[in-house]
Amino acid sequence: MSAAQDGLTTAGTRLERSIGAVLRVGVTISSVCLAVGLVLEILGGPAAVASAALLQAGIIVLVATPVARVIVSTAQYARERDWKFVVLTGIVLVELLASAVAALVFNTHL
Amino acid sequence: MPSSNRTHEGLRNRMPIVTPAIVVIIFAAGTLAGASGALLGIGGGIFLVPFLHLGLDFPIAHAAGIALTTVIATSSSVSAGRAGQRLINVRLGMLLETVTAGGGLLGGVTAQLLAPATVQRLFGIVTAIVAVIMMRRLGSSNVILDPAAEPGPLGGRYYDEMTGGTVTYRVKRLPLAVAASFLAGNVSSLLGIGGGVIKVPVLNAWCGVPLRAAAATSAFMIGVTATAGAVIYYGHGQIMPPLAAAAVLGVQLGSWCGLRFGARAPVAWLKVLMACVLAVVSVLMFVRGGR
Repeated sequence: MSAAQDGLTTAGTRLERSIGAVLRVGVTISSVCLAVGLVLEILGGPAAVASAALLQAGIIVLVATPVARVIVSTAQYARERDWKFVVLTGIVLVELLASAVAALVFNTHL
Repeated sequence: MPSSNRTHEGLRNRMPIVTPAIVVIIFAAGTLAGASGALLGIGGGIFLVPFLHLGLDFPIAHAAGIALTTVIATSSSVSAGRAGQRLINVRLGMLLETVTAGGGLLGGVTAQLLAPATVQRLFGIVTAIVAVIMMRRLGSSNVILDPAAEPGPLGGRYYDEMTGGTVTYRVKRLPLAVAASFLAGNVSSLLGIGGGVIKVPVLNAWCGVPLRAAAATSAFMIGVTATAGAVIYYGHGQIMPPLAAAAVLGVQLGSWCGLRFGARAPVAWLKVLMACVLAVVSVLMFVRGGR
């Protein structure tokens, strides 16, 4: 089976399954963090410190989930020696990294 | 320049303040936006941004930043549910992500540099276009080839529950899909919407991708696109965690309800209503931008 056809083979299905698992785990963890953090935030009082940390964690996991999905895809394409898609997903990772760098640049300017 | 100083001061005065009431209001608005977005297949951002900006008077950059976090959440949860059904064209998605993420990065940077009035006018233009597209209804001229046909390196094949048959398609005019994706990435980050409103019609009408596959692939991609932009808004302090949390949870609940009970909803009627809402939003954004 040539690499060009793997979108329709078991390799493609395997990739889709691992992507699905990464997304499901990420969404679940971030939603739980955000929900608990938000409830603590509304309740106020001594729980405020925990709520800030939980909300921060929830946002970070939320944003990291698509990044993790791309990393998993790159790894899987590498295992299948599908170098064209290793390069493509690698480009996406570099762009995501560049946006983090751009965020830091803006942060220090303000 | 005195005028730009005033704008800056105005922005600072309107910085969102977190109160339990605001959190509840944003959660409710997120639920409504998520449900409408799921029913219409256009995501919740296009409703959430005007609500936060025009309704609650948040700076447009804060509204877009918060909406982008809901775009990421929607993309992840919807795609997690669909993974394994072969409806998402993963290879096409990964290829187009190289340009949507680049567009998202550029859009996020541009959003920090443009005057709010310019962003408001752009939002007005995009909502007007979406309203027109929604009213016209997309033609379902999907290319359905013989099931035994070879879909090529980027095409796909999936089982369609509606017709009970296998749909095979080839991707045509790839450069056009790439250009539309780059534009979608820019618009997504700049305005806080998913960008599917640009990609899905192009993929479907000109690139040979059946509507359901185009929508699933677009929903898959917007998580990465929105991440590239959201990181910049976050670094700029425009995504306040409690407000983003309320919006994300609301949109998640809303889109779940929309997908769960959507089959019985009067979608045609809803489309007309929402097209009218978007037309009003478009006018209001122009009025704001023209001040």
